[in-house]
Amino acid sequence: MGSLYSEHQTWLHRVPAWVKLCLLAVLGTGLFFVTSPQALVCSAAACGLLFVSLGRAMHSARKLMVSVVVAGALIMVFHAYLGQAVLGVVSSLRLVSASILGISLTLTTRHGDVLDVLEVLLLPLQRVGLKTERLALQLAMMLRFTEHFFVIWRRLDDAHRMRTGKSGGLRLLAPLTLHMLTAAKRVADTLELRLGE
Amino acid sequence: MKSSRSIALVSLFAALLAVFGLIPKIDLPLGVPITLQTLGVMLAGCLLGPKRGFQAVMLFLCAVALGLPLLSGGRGGMGVFFAPSAGYLLGWPLGALVTGWLMTLLPKTTPLRAAFSAFGASCLGGLLMVHLCGVVGLVNIVNMSWTQAFFGTLVFVPGDLIKCAISAMVVHTVARGIPDWNFGARAVK
Repeated sequence: MGSLYSEHQTWLHRVPAWVKLCLLAVLGTGLFFVTSPQALVCSAAACGLLFVSLGRAMHSARKLMVSVVVAGALIMVFHAYLGQAVLGVVSSLRLVSASILGISLTLTTRHGDVLDVLEVLLLPLQRVGLKTERLALQLAMMLRFTEHFFVIWRRLDDAHRMRTGKSGGLRLLAPLTLHMLTAAKRVADTLELRLGE
Repeated sequence: MKSSRSIALVSLFAALLAVFGLIPKIDLPLGVPITLQTLGVMLAGCLLGPKRGFQAVMLFLCAVALGLPLLSGGRGGMGVFFAPSAGYLLGWPLGALVTGWLMTLLPKTTPLRAAFSAFGASCLGGLLMVHLCGVVGLVNIVNMSWTQAFFGTLVFVPGDLIKCAISAMVVHTVARGIPDWNFGARAVK
């Protein structure tokens, strides 16, 4: 399973994950209170500089950035067409700024580090019965099963293609779900042995 | 056993959502893509019930927020929660919750009835609830008017109705193939 995280070290990699998450929460929320186009131009420019400062690390998010810019441009055109050009500019700049902040965090923070912060943030919820270690186990299992079921999907598709000469498409969904549910029972039995509950 | 079964099912359906993300998306000018992942939301609600369905979708969104490119087209990270489609994304867990809750209320005494119930539950939970949240997102993030957002979201409805029908067909197959599957509530007799 690939990740958007970049192994190319940047200055933002050295900033602790909890600091980056706090900044994202504060700045992301702050952006929605700013309505002046001039201030949003400055914020978008600052976010752009932040992104460019990541150097080679930003390469893995190029496609994502293009889609954000295209979405921003379409919003601007859409609003301009309706005679609300300024509102379009404000919405697009806000969207682009917030997206760059989010993408920068993702590029420079291992998901394990974010998960650690998440576990700490969720600690108070242990008092009401939420098991944070369980969340980590479920995430790990989810990633393992994603690969597993993609392989099963491909295998079912190959078998269907051998029989009919065509791709199975959505016809494979029902057998895939049956495979999944049967696998879930087996996994639950194994987990019961390991966890004892 | 109940806890182990819950962990396994929640992880598996979150994985199903991720597998649907590997299937390419179709982009619309609105900035919101058509993906197969809403079908995963409907299936999670129909097959797991409200609580586990909600947990499965939340687990998936948690993985997306952690930066894994699990959304259609390889999207992931915090940025997607600020995009025009953020309302739809945040509507997914609520959609699974409503679908599962309706599924527990509707009749499932035969596979055919279970399928009809799944269609109704998917329409109200996976379609109506998700689109409601999507419209709220479009109004707040993209600054569209309610009318514009409403007509914008209508583009997705025909495709989503097909997904509701597929969800019903899968529920029918499961009810026949695994007769003791309880769909988050009573068993199918």
